[in-house]
Amino acid sequence: MMGRWPLVLAVLVAIVLAGVPWFGNDVAVQFGINALLLATLAQSWNILGGFTGYVSFGNSVFYGLGTYGTAVAMTHFNLPFGVGLVVGAVVAMLCAALVGIPILRLRGPYFAIATLGLNGAMAAIVSNLPIAGSNIGLVLPLMRGDAIFYELALALLVVCTLTVLWISSSRYGMALVAIREDEDAAGSMGVNATLYKVTALVLSALFTAIAGGIHAYWSTFVDPASAFDTTLNVRMVIMCVFGGPGTVFGPVVGSFILSAVYEVLASEISTAAVLFFGLVIVLAVVFTPKGLTDLMAGARRSGWRYLFRNIRENRL
Amino acid sequence: MKNSIVALAAAAAFASSVGLARADNVITLGASVQLTGSSANTGRYYRDAYGLTIAKINEAGGIKVGGKTYKLALKILDNQSDVNLSVRQYVQLITSDKVNFLLGPFASNFALSDSSIAEKYQIPMVQGGGASTQIYTRHYKYIFGTLPAADDYYASTIEMFGKLQPKPETVALVAADDSFDVSVAKGTRERLKAAHMKIAVDATYREGNSDFSSILTQIKAANVDAILWSGHETEALNFIRQMKSLNVNPKDYYGFTVGVPTEDFRKALGKDANYAFGMTSWLPSATLKDRWFGDALGFAKAYKAKFGYDPDYHAASGAADVETFAVALEKAGSLNPKAVRDAIAKINFSSLYALHTKYGENGQIILPQIVVQIQDGKLVPIYSDQFLNKPQYPVPPWNKRG
Repeated sequence: MMGRWPLVLAVLVAIVLAGVPWFGNDVAVQFGINALLLATLAQSWNILGGFTGYVSFGNSVFYGLGTYGTAVAMTHFNLPFGVGLVVGAVVAMLCAALVGIPILRLRGPYFAIATLGLNGAMAAIVSNLPIAGSNIGLVLPLMRGDAIFYELALALLVVCTLTVLWISSSRYGMALVAIREDEDAAGSMGVNATLYKVTALVLSALFTAIAGGIHAYWSTFVDPASAFDTTLNVRMVIMCVFGGPGTVFGPVVGSFILSAVYEVLASEISTAAVLFFGLVIVLAVVFTPKGLTDLMAGARRSGWRYLFRNIRENRL
Repeated sequence: MKNSIVALAAAAAFASSVGLARADNVITLGASVQLTGSSANTGRYYRDAYGLTIAKINEAGGIKVGGKTYKLALKILDNQSDVNLSVRQYVQLITSDKVNFLLGPFASNFALSDSSIAEKYQIPMVQGGGASTQIYTRHYKYIFGTLPAADDYYASTIEMFGKLQPKPETVALVAADDSFDVSVAKGTRERLKAAHMKIAVDATYREGNSDFSSILTQIKAANVDAILWSGHETEALNFIRQMKSLNVNPKDYYGFTVGVPTEDFRKALGKDANYAFGMTSWLPSATLKDRWFGDALGFAKAYKAKFGYDPDYHAASGAADVETFAVALEKAGSLNPKAVRDAIAKINFSSLYALHTKYGENGQIILPQIVVQIQDGKLVPIYSDQFLNKPQYPVPPWNKRG
């Protein structure tokens, strides 16, 4: 069970982050918007991937639907941004429910494979819809005020993290963990596995889609290639697993650290940045396969030997 | 001891060079370009063209702005073919690196996002990497571009049709389904309608497609006078090969948006490349007079000598972006972004890239595509707004070729 101090620390960090637009520079705000949105994506992936252990490569579909829902509502129907966000979120949640019911019956790698196809299929559909600008994409109006986008992204991350905090300590969350540990046993104890998994996917879609909507308005342009980007989904998985799947603060911490590492590498040694970024991921997987959160607990217990015990345990 | 003296000297030299770069007689142009990642192959044209042109202008003594002489400097960042990073880097260039003006990235999707930063901070950006008309339909004041609009790619071809004997009447329009080619097809449709030509076949194919037999069968059945095709180079190669094997012969003309000007295209098709029409926005010819390079030929030579590969229209467009700033700054007589912006809007000069380097109301250059044709294995410019050479027209059917 989590102690009190991580919560206190998290509240303090959130307060400091909220002040960045006032005392930080413009570059920090730009970086912040990206890092906060990515953290939200990792955190929402955590709801299904971390708690139930179902690895989804289809979350970027919800992101794409969120961007397009917002963009179409704003450009074709002249609706305000807030309504656009709701439209995007509703579309993504409907999609999650429709898709989730059949494919969440698949288990393990079969589920992951099924979700892999979703992204390409949705990109192909959208690029043939005239209302979504077909392949050309949509241009949104320009809004000056990056501080607003920053605060919105921060608020979204806070709400998403609070949701995960609630999940982690609720009966609902326990059912999700039970599914991860042994789905058949959970079923025999009266857990309606399909219902729980689908609601987890729908929740995940909600936050992912809103993050997409914020990004769309901020970057003023969406096209199928950027909205349905598979590498974005890979990043969600990496960031969440790096931080600690199935924990409350792991995905957030993990994505902040990886975003910062990526940023430093990109500006300092830009030509070899991707190579070094890959190296960081490899080291992380070898030494801390259960994420940073587990590293913190393990290091307190057994010091530096924790790192090598992981190698032994995993027979690397 | 000796080492430390060397180190000190190096540090001093470094400090002085930094000091020089920040001296008040330097105007810095900033850009975030794809130097690594998926678009790096084209990104290099911009890096090299920016660098070469700035060096050339400085060699000639720099530029005079309001009675004072300035040198130009370039601050270039690598966006790793990542749009989000490029947006951030443009903010960094403006707010922490304090560059004076902005040059663009490569590709329309980058230019679309990055131009919003130029507009937000009201710093003029001249970009030579994005052709999409969407960049210019947002009524932005601070964005200018040197790639002609996709919608207009076939404008000069259709204008030329009016002056040819026999004049083509029925047309087959074939285009890929990506954003650029969809725009080309849209613009071409409107222009064909305005020229009172009939679109007998209007086909769209999936990007990356390699089998054109069903489209070609339709074209054969419709017995058209001309084929206007828009897509990518490998698809163009397949299209021509299948045209030959299915013996599809438009009565007068077939033209492509890409491929024809490149050497690879001629090599891959050999004799079958002959008679194919194409287009390019730039050819290194001596008719394009330039203040710094002499003419476009001089630019192409200097570029090849320095970097070891031939420049194409991307490079020329990038060079024109730098020259636009140089000319506009002298006209404006001040470094004030608003004044420079107004000067760019009114500019009209001859450069290595375009006889009339000037920008339309929306900020995009107006530049006719040069129609080209392969004649006996050689690339021959045919038409820009007048005939440059005699076309081999009408195109003979496949079975009547020597």
